[in-house]
Amino acid sequence: MTDVTRNVGIVGGGHTKWGTREASYKDLIQEAGKATFDDTPNVGPEDVEGLFVGSVQPERFAFQTHVAPMVAELLGIDVDSMIARTELACASGQAALRYAWLAIAAGQLDTALVLGVEKMNLPREYAPEAQASMANVMDREFDGVNGFNAPPYFAMIAQRHMHEYDTTREQLAQVAAKNKTHAASNAFAQFQSEVSVDEVIDSFELSPPLCLYDCSGVTDGAAGLILMSEEKAREVSDEAAWITGSGQACFSGNSINNLPSMSAWPQATTAAEQAYDQAGIDDPLEELDVAEVHDCFSISEIVEYEDLGWVEKGEGGKFIEDGRSELDGDIAVNPRGGLLGCGHPLGATGVSQALEVFNQFRGTVESDRQVPAPETGLIHNLSGSASVHSVMTLSRERP
Amino acid sequence: MTDHYDPTDSTDTRNHIRTDGGRDVVELPDQVELPRLLDFYELQTEETTEIAEFYDNLREGQLTTTECQDCGELHFPPRIVCPECQSDDLAYVDLPHEGELFAFSTVRAGAPMGMEDDVPFVIGIVDLGEITLSAHLDDAEYDDLSIGDPVELKIVEIDGPVDHERVFYRFEPKET
Ligand SMILES: CC(C)(COP(=O)(O)OP(=O)(O)OC[C@H]1O[C@@H](n2cnc3c(N)ncnc32)[C@H](O)[C@@H]1OP(=O)(O)O)[C@@H](O)C(=O)NCCC(=O)NCCS
Ligand SMILES: [Zn+2]
Repeated sequence: MTDVTRNVGIVGGGHTKWGTREASYKDLIQEAGKATFDDTPNVGPEDVEGLFVGSVQPERFAFQTHVAPMVAELLGIDVDSMIARTELACASGQAALRYAWLAIAAGQLDTALVLGVEKMNLPREYAPEAQASMANVMDREFDGVNGFNAPPYFAMIAQRHMHEYDTTREQLAQVAAKNKTHAASNAFAQFQSEVSVDEVIDSFELSPPLCLYDCSGVTDGAAGLILMSEEKAREVSDEAAWITGSGQACFSGNSINNLPSMSAWPQATTAAEQAYDQAGIDDPLEELDVAEVHDCFSISEIVEYEDLGWVEKGEGGKFIEDGRSELDGDIAVNPRGGLLGCGHPLGATGVSQALEVFNQFRGTVESDRQVPAPETGLIHNLSGSASVHSVMTLSRERP
Repeated sequence: MTDHYDPTDSTDTRNHIRTDGGRDVVELPDQVELPRLLDFYELQTEETTEIAEFYDNLREGQLTTTECQDCGELHFPPRIVCPECQSDDLAYVDLPHEGELFAFSTVRAGAPMGMEDDVPFVIGIVDLGEITLSAHLDDAEYDDLSIGDPVELKIVEIDGPVDHERVFYRFEPKET
């Protein structure tokens, strides 16, 4: 359907330490900007024509608006083509990446910086404010008002999935243990200790059936990427992660009554099909080597195995149980450590996932979590009540 | 008064600046009142929302929602324009006050602002037949609940920082 007219590649990127940071929103932007330009010695702020910033609630978390121009100022970028902030809740980073890709593919510009940033940890006594902000992603008047922030909502998704497909508590815990174990060796991750299946199940039963270790965190962090047209990319770098496909779907529903299902995400299927189609992927399970999927809660990854088209509906629990998403499985899923291990600074997550795929391609991640010679990758984000799904495919070889 | 703040002039209180001999001090209030639009409950009067009728009906004791008079679509939440056919000829119809529990959980930590003192609380999704909605589940213990349990509506008054009486719906296990 979409004719991508020009090849676009990620040629570099950088990351801040994620966690409860003793740093401001502006500090995080500068750290990520520096890390990104340090990674691309042949590209400086003066080369950047377009700027796309993923950030969800700076108005509430950092009391700042008009943040893209602030990023331009902090990083010394003169934008002469396109500048915008994208807000799509938990998928804001991937949305920024998608727009940068489209702008370059369409010939509007050759070089873009994509930066995702969120400062979520307010002083301790204001933690409920961050939770209130996250409860506003559905219909605030009819859902947020009922205390529907993410943990209990995803707990209900887990409850329905267990009810309908006999997914087990152990299978949920296996996802968390796998991802947290990967995060243990990721220097940027918020949670850096290995966790066993039993430890997940024994952690505080926060919103049953989900326990504390089934949840991603409240995280401060940022990450950046440099995207270039093929022509420009060739001038500066031998290596790139080429964007081969990108899709999104939302089915006219964001509030509880208007979602297609509580245990299935057909929007993920639609978004993935768009991306697979553009990338020429016929059999994702066979053709994808590494995937960074949105494990905001352990249950999410299980639903994604199914709805990204890797296994039959209801077989997601079996997929993790059989080790098929381990580093040496059919698809290495979340070698970065996922949102469960790295934390989830909302607007930065999609950017970090894409950077991870590039780092996996170029073999620069810590050796414990390096996937052997991956050639193709995928990133996936859901947002809000999982009413929207965003999927992008990447390839080490130029298309 | 001059344009400049004069620390020797005790009547000059511009910008809440006070001085005690050393540096000028900018005084801020200890607490900023929660703006009424930051509590979770929308304003419910005709001056503030075009679905005031929904809240009026609820105040009278009836849960309602809009139905499109052109295409027949039943909406929830209530609308002023039908998303199916763009008609604005909508009418309020009654919803049942009893339904079944479709899903539920409990919040034991990490509650949103304004709800921290209610922890632990139980919330769920209620199936009313033609629509499902999210709700607080009052007088319910998480461990005692099962999917499919019968629940019934209750209406609560919201006591908060606005000048009109607000109401909202909740559900509770149905006495058997
Ligand atoms: C799960 C959650 C509610 C826990 O918050 P909390 O109860 O306020 O936890 P606290 O911040 O008091 O932390 C208590 C301890 O648990 C740890 N912790 C907090 N969240 C954690 C998590 N998600 N995973 C592992 N450990 C966690 C903290 O490090 C702290 O450990 P310490 O006592 O050793 O210092 C919160 O992390 C959360 O909301 N996560 C989901 C975020 C979200 O919804 N994102 C959007 C997704 S779509
Ligand atoms: Zn209609």
